[in-house]
Amino acid sequence: MSADTHQNSLADYRNKSINNRMGLWLFLISDSFVFIGLFVVRFNLMPTARPELSQVLGLIVTTILLVSSVLMNRAEIAVGVGDQKTFLRNTLFTMILGIIFLLGVVGVEWPLASQHISAREGVAGSIFFTMTGFHAFHVLTGVIFLFIIWNNGRKGLYTVERHFAVEAAAIYWHFVDVVWIFFYPALYLIGSKVIGG
Amino acid sequence: MEENQKKPDYSVNILVLIILMILTAGEYYLGVISTTNIAGIMIAIGLLKAFFIVRDYMNIGRLWTSTSVSGGEDHK
Repeated sequence: MSADTHQNSLADYRNKSINNRMGLWLFLISDSFVFIGLFVVRFNLMPTARPELSQVLGLIVTTILLVSSVLMNRAEIAVGVGDQKTFLRNTLFTMILGIIFLLGVVGVEWPLASQHISAREGVAGSIFFTMTGFHAFHVLTGVIFLFIIWNNGRKGLYTVERHFAVEAAAIYWHFVDVVWIFFYPALYLIGSKVIGG
Repeated sequence: MEENQKKPDYSVNILVLIILMILTAGEYYLGVISTTNIAGIMIAIGLLKAFFIVRDYMNIGRLWTSTSVSGGEDHK
């Protein structure tokens, strides 16, 4: 490939990335309206109450998700400077933390919460399981997305100039984190009256 | 890939982590001790945390400047 062809190909890739980036943000904005809807429903149906949940477990899973976001940011920075090892390591750790978060919410918190609230009857249970379930599904999607870029990264598909997929996966992962930033206090901390306690 | 390697700058990454941890700890403490409705304060803290993530981790500024996360210009 001649130098001119390479430059043109790179310019094409950059232009495509600009459009893809805009598309990704538009998708996330539209997706966020569903989460905003759930958030509003929670405060309309339980203005001064919250479900009976383990606040310590809530803090632990929140911290796990925050740390995973930090690691994903490091992975993105690393791929941008050509540090393949750091990129792969941080992406792998992010994935592992995402799986731990899922296990914490779905595997531990759901059975614990089921002792006090039910998804079938009562507002608190319906709200809790819908909000956390919808969010957990997004986390699962993010983990799959991370696995794909990790696997592609192992094959050496990303370079300093061409790594939009990594940027997209990182932005999606941070979006999932931002959603939880609002869901965590809404479910675990806000409300003086405890339902199911 | 390794031959192109520049020194990565993780200073913002660490600073934002510290801010997020402090805000989360404060949020948890308020939630545990509070006996009144603190929804407004919690949402304000949430907005602050979201601001840092959207600005520094999601790099929303790239939508307008087309600059990569490592600092290099997308347009040359």
